[in-house]
Amino acid sequence: MIMIPNMFMPISLEIIIITGILVIFFLDLFLSKRKNQIISTLTLAFLIITFVFSFSGLVHGSIFSNTFVSDPFAITLKQIFILATALAVLGSINHTEIKLLNREGEYYQLLLFTLLGMMITVSSRELLLLFLGFELMSIPLYILSAFSKENIKSAEGAIKIFLFGTVSSALLLLGIGIFFAATGTTSWMPDYHINGLTDPLAVLALIILLCGFGFKIAAFPFQFWVPDTYEAAPTPFVAFLSVAPKITGFGILFRFLFEALGPLVTKWSIYALWISALTMIVGNLLALPQRNIKRLLAYSGIAHIGYILLGLASGTKFGIEMSIFYFIAYLFANMGAFLVAEAVNRSSGSDNLDSFTNLWKRSSFLSISMLVFILSLGGIPFVIGFWAKLYIFLAAAKSGHLLIVLLGALMTVVALFYYLNVARIMYIDKGGNEDLKKVEVPLNLSLSIGISAILVVALGLYPRFVIDIAKKAMSTFV
Amino acid sequence: MSESIPVLSIIMLSPFVGALILSIEPQRSKNIIRITTLLFSFISLIGSLYLFINYDQALGGFQYIEILPLAPSLGITYFLAVDGISVTLVLLTAIILVTGVFASWEIPQRSKEFFILLLLLSTGVFGVFVSLDLFIFFLFYELAVLPMYLLIGIWGSSTKIKAKGIFSRAISSTGLGSKEYGAMKLTLYLLFGSAFILVGILAIYSYSGLETFNYIKLNENLLSPSLQKWIFFLFYFGFGTLAGVWPLHTWSPDGHASAPTAVSMMHAGVLMKLGAYGIIRLGMGLLPDAAVSFSFLIGAIAVINIVYGAFGAMWQKDLKYVVAYSSVSHMGIVMLGAATLNEMGLNGSVLQMFSHGIMTGLLFALVGLIYEKAHTRDISKMGGFAKRMPAIATFFLIGSLTSLGLPGLSGFVAELLVFLGAWASPSPWWLIPAVFGVFLTAVYMLRVNKWIFFGKSNDSTPLHDAHGFEWLAPIILCVILILVGIYPKLLLDTIDVGVVEFLQNFH
Repeated sequence: MIMIPNMFMPISLEIIIITGILVIFFLDLFLSKRKNQIISTLTLAFLIITFVFSFSGLVHGSIFSNTFVSDPFAITLKQIFILATALAVLGSINHTEIKLLNREGEYYQLLLFTLLGMMITVSSRELLLLFLGFELMSIPLYILSAFSKENIKSAEGAIKIFLFGTVSSALLLLGIGIFFAATGTTSWMPDYHINGLTDPLAVLALIILLCGFGFKIAAFPFQFWVPDTYEAAPTPFVAFLSVAPKITGFGILFRFLFEALGPLVTKWSIYALWISALTMIVGNLLALPQRNIKRLLAYSGIAHIGYILLGLASGTKFGIEMSIFYFIAYLFANMGAFLVAEAVNRSSGSDNLDSFTNLWKRSSFLSISMLVFILSLGGIPFVIGFWAKLYIFLAAAKSGHLLIVLLGALMTVVALFYYLNVARIMYIDKGGNEDLKKVEVPLNLSLSIGISAILVVALGLYPRFVIDIAKKAMSTFV
Repeated sequence: MSESIPVLSIIMLSPFVGALILSIEPQRSKNIIRITTLLFSFISLIGSLYLFINYDQALGGFQYIEILPLAPSLGITYFLAVDGISVTLVLLTAIILVTGVFASWEIPQRSKEFFILLLLLSTGVFGVFVSLDLFIFFLFYELAVLPMYLLIGIWGSSTKIKAKGIFSRAISSTGLGSKEYGAMKLTLYLLFGSAFILVGILAIYSYSGLETFNYIKLNENLLSPSLQKWIFFLFYFGFGTLAGVWPLHTWSPDGHASAPTAVSMMHAGVLMKLGAYGIIRLGMGLLPDAAVSFSFLIGAIAVINIVYGAFGAMWQKDLKYVVAYSSVSHMGIVMLGAATLNEMGLNGSVLQMFSHGIMTGLLFALVGLIYEKAHTRDISKMGGFAKRMPAIATFFLIGSLTSLGLPGLSGFVAELLVFLGAWASPSPWWLIPAVFGVFLTAVYMLRVNKWIFFGKSNDSTPLHDAHGFEWLAPIILCVILILVGIYPKLLLDTIDVGVVEFLQNFH
């Protein structure tokens, strides 16, 4: 193993990823034959190494005067990121648009860069480091969104995420500046009370910072870029985009709101509740008329963020634990659903819901997997999404916010309408005869879809496993 | 109290295991599929009979307890037990499941998926009746709702309904009359109800301060009356949707009419009772003060159910809609019995749940047979069927007579108990419209019989009577109706034990 001095151990995961990036960079320059297989396998290998290494106790600790901390929360989140990236890489193998012009090397490097940025972000307890990680995460996302060069819509989607993203970065910088002016510090410790937080200037800084963060998690009212970008970008990447940056944003919110502003929890939780409620409503209602599976999943993802924010807004440790639980459930179900959309697209060439017609006959594997993912997203028992929804509602109820639980439950009913619609198209609608040819699913996709589906069901039958993960993540938080 | 064999888990999980086994069987062997389903349903039936016969009436209370902690920090346990009330309902479910499988013996396409979904549905229903942990209760309730969508949407039957009036374009664009419409309406309505139930459960959880979902513990620590009132409203609203309480019943006619036979049997026969059971067990059991203050309202709405359902049934031209509306009407009798909050009324309510469950199972099974033979559900196209389908005609008549409460059949006993209970309750005036409802039931039921079976026959096409396995479901159900009608003590003794214990909540 590479000798990493003890002082750098907490940042070792990031170092492994950087090593991976460098290796791939050089290989990309020199390889020409079978490039795709080698680079993607290598990426997966580095991801697996990082994942396995993250379980060792060596990674704990903090570095750079406690501004970069590697506590169980950060490590759990990083593990989730790695899983998401691995699924995305698995789904991207042999994707035609990505292979265009021999750009796969760049694709995988950019994915790893984004991963690196996310990992730095959730570990940072200091605003400038956070900003660094944030930008490192965001910029590759802009480039990756534009990867479908042949599709004109891709440029539109990429411009949208780029513009929204850079404005949010600017807001972030402004907020950091004002925060510093108000409180005299840009870093925080969990048990350290920052002075001057009740200062109106600090409140202003807070609002601006939250606007900046809100964009990344695609909460209301910052979600406008989501549907167009999702529709236009390559689907395996969209699967990743729908999950990982949102988890990062959540991690930032946790670090900032809970650790930095812990004493002020009653003040900001009402705003979080409102945003959560509005996000749930907007996400679910706008998904209803969608005829494109990617847009539908985009809006449904926005709605799910609303539920996660509910866990955050309950202001308790239990709420955060349940949000982490929800993230894990959402990760597999959402990425799985997008990967199924990718598989159907490869066969039918379109992302329209109609291409799902009679899927039960054309590919029982795809239709059953999609059904499992829909059930999880909709919150039907015995797949993990049910437990996730119920636990989030439980967390909110424990903090006394029963009205919003009712809203959440009613919005779930709305959500089930469009989810069941997909099920209806797959299983019930007759369609024309040309829809009856079998769908060939490439191995990498069937592997990734299969893993996700099995996990969604298995974890649904044994949710205690995920609860333990969530509890372990929050074990050092008081 | 048999602690060695987990009878309840066996009853509940046997259909689930059956579904799992079915999912790996090949599609082609239709007979193996049907027999596997039958086997696992039979296990449940034998289990429930064993349960019922061995329920210790002298001991009373909750028996066959199984406790397994699932998430102790949250207070969730796998807590199953039955008392006199739920043991009857478990028996009902098992009977309807087995007869439903018989009635679906000749499912034309994708029988494997059909039976898998039916078995999953049954697991959910069994689970609700035997759960004493609110979280698990809700879990099984949700499990029961989803297979409905696929069952009705794929195997249901559509009918053409012409929308009339100024909104006809808008109404017909929703797909009124098609099975997809019925399926979606039913599923969304029931999930809508479940949202309120969820909030109610979470409210009880958080306000009781006990950090537990355990029914027994919550029962011992009741909430304050003012809190109880609005939680009871949530439960009544949520469970009432499932029970077909007016005005939340509108999913029922469309849903039942579009559903395939076994699904209608299970739904009208058992699931609607689930709603009433939820109101009684959770609503009245955990929130007794609120139940007492709301009892007049519940009774009044129940009476509206009876009369409205009866009038609705009278009006229908589609046979399945007639039976569906009659279910709405009879659920009114169940709710009336529950609202009386006295021993006779509650006994009648539970007995009516059982009796109506069997009866509606019978009627839907027969309607399914008629539809298969005559290829129409339109009453105006039928007539004089008795000559060519004498057996079906007889069974249908027995079902109708139970419906209108003829002595000698179980319906009479149940209805009489409910009415006597209503008379003994604080608001005896309920009785007047309720008995009027019975009269109306006679009107529409006898008329429907006349139109379909007697009189001149329109068609000269040959109609077959029931044959083969199709005999089994109606015969079993009719026998039960007659048996319980002549000797209701079989059921009432056990029910009474449960009811008396339950009423101790209301000293």
